[in-house]
Amino acid sequence: MLPCSWGLWRSAIHTLKTFRASPSARGLCIPTRAVCDAETIFALSSGHGRCGVAVVRVSGPASSMVLRNMAGLTQALPPPRTALLRRITDPQSKELLDRGLVLWFKGPHSFTGEDSAEFHIHGGPAVITAVLQALGSLEGVRPAEAGEFTRRAFHAGKLGLTEVEGLGDLIHAETEAQRRQALRQMDGELGRLYQDWSYRLKRCLAHVEAFIDFSEDELIEDGVLNQVDSSVRQLETEIERHLKDERRGERLRTGVQVVIAGATNAGKSSLLNTLCQRPAAIVSPIAGTTRDIVETSLDIGGFPVLLSDTAGLRDSSDSVEREGVRRARQRVEQADLTLVVVDSTQLPPDPQLVPAFLQEHLSTVLPSPEAGMKAASDRVLLVLNKSDLVPEEQRERTEGELRERPGLPPACFLSCSTSTGLEDFLTVLQSRVKTLCGDPLSGAPSLTQARHRAHLQQSVQALNQYHQYRDQDLALAAEGVRLALTHLGRITGRVGAEEILDIIFRDFCIGK
Amino acid sequence: MLAQKLHLLRHNVLSFVSSRTGSDLTRRQYDVIVVGGGHAGTEAAAAAARLGAETLLITQKIMTIGALSCNPSLGGVGKGQLVREVDALDGLCGRAGDSAGVHFSILNRSKGPAVWGPRAQLDRERYRQFIQSELLSTPRLTVLEGSVDELLVSQPNPEEPGHHRVTGIRLVDGSHPILSSSVVLTTGTFLSGSLFMGQTTSPGGRMGDAQSCAGLSYTLKETLGLRVGRLRTGTPPRIVKESVDLSLAQLQAPDKQPTPFSFLNTHTRCKPEEQLPCYLTHTTPGVERVVRESVHLNCHIQQDTKGPRYCPSIESRVLRFPGRRHQVWLEPEGLTSDLLYPQGLSMTMPPDLQLRLLREIPALHRAEIRAPGYGVQYDFVCPTQLTPSLQVKSTQGLFLAGQINGTTGYEEAAAQGLWAGVNAGRTALSLPPIALSRTQSYIGVLIDDLVGRGVTEPYRMFTSRAEFRTYLRPDNADLRLTPRGFEEVGCVTLRRYKKAVSVRDGLQEALMALQSVALSSTRWREKLGNISLSENKSTTLNRKQCWTFRIDIYAVYRPHCEKQSREMERIRSEESLSLPSDMDYLSLPVSLSHEVREILDRVRPNTLGAATRLPGMTPAGIIHLLNYVLRTGRSEDTHQFKLN
Repeated sequence: MLPCSWGLWRSAIHTLKTFRASPSARGLCIPTRAVCDAETIFALSSGHGRCGVAVVRVSGPASSMVLRNMAGLTQALPPPRTALLRRITDPQSKELLDRGLVLWFKGPHSFTGEDSAEFHIHGGPAVITAVLQALGSLEGVRPAEAGEFTRRAFHAGKLGLTEVEGLGDLIHAETEAQRRQALRQMDGELGRLYQDWSYRLKRCLAHVEAFIDFSEDELIEDGVLNQVDSSVRQLETEIERHLKDERRGERLRTGVQVVIAGATNAGKSSLLNTLCQRPAAIVSPIAGTTRDIVETSLDIGGFPVLLSDTAGLRDSSDSVEREGVRRARQRVEQADLTLVVVDSTQLPPDPQLVPAFLQEHLSTVLPSPEAGMKAASDRVLLVLNKSDLVPEEQRERTEGELRERPGLPPACFLSCSTSTGLEDFLTVLQSRVKTLCGDPLSGAPSLTQARHRAHLQQSVQALNQYHQYRDQDLALAAEGVRLALTHLGRITGRVGAEEILDIIFRDFCIGK
Repeated sequence: MLAQKLHLLRHNVLSFVSSRTGSDLTRRQYDVIVVGGGHAGTEAAAAAARLGAETLLITQKIMTIGALSCNPSLGGVGKGQLVREVDALDGLCGRAGDSAGVHFSILNRSKGPAVWGPRAQLDRERYRQFIQSELLSTPRLTVLEGSVDELLVSQPNPEEPGHHRVTGIRLVDGSHPILSSSVVLTTGTFLSGSLFMGQTTSPGGRMGDAQSCAGLSYTLKETLGLRVGRLRTGTPPRIVKESVDLSLAQLQAPDKQPTPFSFLNTHTRCKPEEQLPCYLTHTTPGVERVVRESVHLNCHIQQDTKGPRYCPSIESRVLRFPGRRHQVWLEPEGLTSDLLYPQGLSMTMPPDLQLRLLREIPALHRAEIRAPGYGVQYDFVCPTQLTPSLQVKSTQGLFLAGQINGTTGYEEAAAQGLWAGVNAGRTALSLPPIALSRTQSYIGVLIDDLVGRGVTEPYRMFTSRAEFRTYLRPDNADLRLTPRGFEEVGCVTLRRYKKAVSVRDGLQEALMALQSVALSSTRWREKLGNISLSENKSTTLNRKQCWTFRIDIYAVYRPHCEKQSREMERIRSEESLSLPSDMDYLSLPVSLSHEVREILDRVRPNTLGAATRLPGMTPAGIIHLLNYVLRTGRSEDTHQFKLN
């Protein structure tokens, strides 16, 4: 199960409710009680990367509280829909975060129909991160789930029919963007940390549940609960320490993630070196030279790009290379943009056969596409490398064949050794990167991080409940652990009852 | 053949009418036919009859109706909750337990009332008698002895989903068919069952009983095309009590004051001082040795059919967790029985080795075996092919309950039987099917898990399966289920309904009285020295001792239940939107990925709630699906059994 999936499920379900509330929901016996979302949500609604101004939206009943706390408005709120220049401060530390414009929208006259606020702040990643963190620290305020603003807007009747039709696709796009973003953040040390917590918490829950369901008939010693006590305490301490750690531990993977992928010896590393203008990766005519990810930060047209070169995709008996291929595939799945490098000399000589050949080739490189997602072609560029080795005439006819071909991503002929075609390729690449950066859907890492923090905080709170009830009512104590695991599961993936039972039966011999 | 017309008779003993024309005593047309007289079958037949359906119960042996084929006990943690719920819906097993119990105890007393497990050791004879006399005195219920050979099916009613419609059954003796609008199959382990002991295998579902129903297996698999799987279970040898040295075992006393299962009972038939003890003893390294030496003589243990992980045979316990001491409970079989039931020693090795194994345990060093243990392997119908009303999706009017659905345990069987009986009765009476929500009952959790996820091993109830465990408590099962069971379902008698309503109103009144006293925390603290409510209010409470107890529990859990109410509401509304069972997911003109289409096509979820819980479903997929269903008006308005 992928990270975030549970939260996303819930998103979808809330949308269902709104559909049901619509008059077209014929003959359904659902109580259409007005869904009043008590929670206040926030999100970065502009893109990330190098933009001048970033817009952070807040929606929900606590919006006015947020505005007062963050913009130092002790008295009246500003008149609705009027921009006001304020110092934006952290509500806890009172530290100045930025100077920016704040706007107040009194419901129902807002995008979501609820009380809303907007912060227009400077677009640097540090400022954005600080503001999002500050928002997340306020009581009753949490990062929005995918599509949540839109759903609230829909519920309030603020969306047109076409927008409603597109709701499923929008949620899909946001889901995908969040999923990719979460995968990236979970990759590496942080991911291992969360997975470890999740594993330990699952064991705690399994042992409490075993004690509840089986201890009367089975040999389950009382010591089991004492172990759980200390494990829970240890977890609390670790999560709290992590939340307080101002250094944030892990570098956020910011910037547009561009991944170079393709078969072995197509010239992927040469492309990386060409783009970096320095030999960052070893190139050789020997297939399978690159075995691990080679990562470089680049500036393309003024936008931050994290470029990764990956191992060539082929079946290999070498275990090191197999691992490289696994990592390559994983990286492609997390990418915002994939540059699929193809050796032009391997193309069919008959240009008419090229589109089908490339289509086939893409399906081996990319993860299987989801229907309903027009996407694949938006997130891929085909690089036909070694163009200098193909006869001029054949290349031109092939180009003609590939032009405006629906279903195929744009293709550029390029020679990394002679730099022919580099200009054209860079133009296409730049415009892609620019679009991705301006698109809030490409996922802001700081928002993902804020969401993780919120879930971790709730998880710690829930664990308190365990201690609170431990000696009075074990059912309520267990409920605390269940809840903590639910919150952690929104980062690391949902945990079902069966999984807990698996641990119980693995750790204990249950025989009655 | 033997047939017995028990309709409206008020005798307490079942007698047989042996007659070649016995079938003349039987009508040829019923509303509901229930096949099988175990825990599922008896509850199903009784429930259908309570609903007002003319019901026929067919069993291979009338004398084994209500027999406890394995352990002589009822209830426990999770299972006790099911018993309380079956009782709240006016089922039989709770009252039968109160009548037959010889050792009552509430498990988990120290762990919070939500997870208390009411449990009793039973007198087998009393249990059987109670169930038989209950069925005998149930109006509209006829019991017939016989073996069903074939299920009769015809073309489906075109207005309802399904490929077939059940029309009745034909008995093995080849006599005329018996027709009905609904059939409930509760065949237990008899569906292609085979018995295992040592190296011998014989067809059958229970030692000493007739063979399995081969014809029925054929109909289900070949005619109806149902997918079946295979599971196994087992039972321990029965030991002669006299041969056991109980001084070498640890005595386990029952509760001083027995707590009845049934909301109708204030006390149990067995007096507190008449209760029998249980004994606890342990396995030794010698037991492990015998198991290891006998593996090659034990075909059951060598097969890899799935057995339950939580009720494993002693062989699999020892092999999976070697070098440990395992608990063995010696349980009474009844007030007059001379046998003990060794819980935890289910085994399938040859009988001489069984004896050797037993004698490796100090308390059993002279033990004599009355009947050896054995294993059973049997077919079950993959329960994802059922609707939440326990009807087979492809076959109108055919309901399944109990082990045939892949569950284990009396309580699980009784719960399904009751619900299948309710829906079989409703179908026969042209009422819409009805589903129980997992937010409202363990029965709902059980059925939702079965039909939504299927089983890979025999399914048993645990409290950890219920996400709303603090609300689904044994103490409030009557409030959760009885009023609606009367008002909406029709399976609850007026007497019980009136009682539940009076309890509900009384509790409400008392709660309001309590809530009307609002003081600041300082004032409470001042008063804590001589804590008492104003006089006139506390009298209400004092008069009803049990209410103070129930209010206590209610108050402990209320804040938590309120927090969960939004989540419960969400699940309930998902459950109430049912998806058409004949939807062609592969060609649905909406934007769904191929993977999602295949998942939906394979599992065919009954409700949107079930669809969202499928692994691999995407949020966008759910939205598209819902959008399609609502737009085309294809959602079926299933009646949900909802409580607030």
